[in-house]
Amino acid sequence: MLPLLELRERVKNFYQRYDMYLLPVIKFIFALVVFCLINKDIGYDARLKSLPIVLGISLLSAFTPSAVMVLLAAIISVLHVYFISPILSIMIIAILMILYLLFIRYTPKLGYVLLAIPILFQLKIPYMLPILLGLVSTPVAMIPTSCGVIIYFLFQIIKNAVTMQNNISIEDILQLYTYVVDSLIGNRQMIMTIVIFSLIIMATYFIRKMSFNYAFEISILAGGLLSILGFLISYLILNRADQILSMIIGSIVSAGLVYIIHFFKLTLDYSRVEHATFEDDVYYYYVKAVPKATVTISEVNIRHYNVKNSKAREFSDPDTDESDIYNFEEDNDN
Amino acid sequence: MLNFKKIRLMTKLAVYEKKEGKEDIYLSKYYKTDYVRFQVLKSILSATVGYGLILGMIALYKMEYLIKNAVTLNYKSLGTYILGFYIMTITVYGLGSLVYYSMKYDASRKKLARYFKLLKRLEKLYNDSAQES
Repeated sequence: MLPLLELRERVKNFYQRYDMYLLPVIKFIFALVVFCLINKDIGYDARLKSLPIVLGISLLSAFTPSAVMVLLAAIISVLHVYFISPILSIMIIAILMILYLLFIRYTPKLGYVLLAIPILFQLKIPYMLPILLGLVSTPVAMIPTSCGVIIYFLFQIIKNAVTMQNNISIEDILQLYTYVVDSLIGNRQMIMTIVIFSLIIMATYFIRKMSFNYAFEISILAGGLLSILGFLISYLILNRADQILSMIIGSIVSAGLVYIIHFFKLTLDYSRVEHATFEDDVYYYYVKAVPKATVTISEVNIRHYNVKNSKAREFSDPDTDESDIYNFEEDNDN
Repeated sequence: MLNFKKIRLMTKLAVYEKKEGKEDIYLSKYYKTDYVRFQVLKSILSATVGYGLILGMIALYKMEYLIKNAVTLNYKSLGTYILGFYIMTITVYGLGSLVYYSMKYDASRKKLARYFKLLKRLEKLYNDSAQES
């Protein structure tokens, strides 16, 4: 454990020193992964897949708030679909609009969840996000999580629909449309996924809130178990036994990743360095405020051994009042 | 000479202003009723647009049926249904955002009170140093 704690300390120091440069770099890498995965999955338009554009939009999202990255990802996805089928892209826009207007606009801070769910589905570890959200957020996170799941399955359906459509006549459009709506509403796997993810968020949240030792660790464990159990049942009902193995491995990996994040979370959350600029009539101030972190000190074990012999008792003789001595010394100083 | 007490106070204020205080200070420009009413109006409007989109999608989905039975359709009951669901939707969204945004406003007021307390302390520091010099 000790080397790990040391590593955490070192990461914290590194983060505190370079946090101004580190954050955009992390965001840039994340954006790059996001856009590459989108291009890989639904990359119909070769122009958008070119390296300068991918790098450009990643760079743009590195220096802007996370909402911009979500918006850019949505635009890119819609443009990819538009390239191959304008009708389908209109459907996507309509569904995204409905999701935004009715649900997402009420949880603006959790917008990145929408992006993270489809991305983590691609990486086969979507189970990570509900556990993590249960740890760091409130049950409100169920809303963006559900919307993220819907978006993921919507794009899976769109991918199928793209292969279906060839010559477009009015009747074909209607057929295409009914196919998309039918498979979205009748998608039992999607509904089960939403229910299971919501359950995971609730369970992790409420266990974390309880006051017993290791509540955080147990809530992560419970989230992982719930995910394995829930998806096991859902896959058995849906007759998709082939996915069970990857699901179990994914769940275990997710729980492990969440544990690692939780281990470093203390560091990354509370050691946020603040840069503030202000002035008064005499000076300009450029202040870097570093929070005092006392995490590792609490790990130190101090043990008192009481020596019971006559000499020790002499010092604590009730006749000599120690406070008097100190007072006397203070007076001397003055 | 640097007044460290002042700098500490100013840093606290500046960090608050930059981060969470941004929204609180923005909210403080509104009266509570004005702010809540505006937000409720916005969410009702967005719920209306969303409802309209869903309605449009359902209509498109049932297009064939609608065209086939365009003459015999009972428009009165259909309209009642649509209107009823619409009223239900906007009631839920309106009331929900009424409660949510009222709570948000109150919470931001509480945080602002602490901010103003610090500001006052800073002002006092200024006055004291002005008297000294």
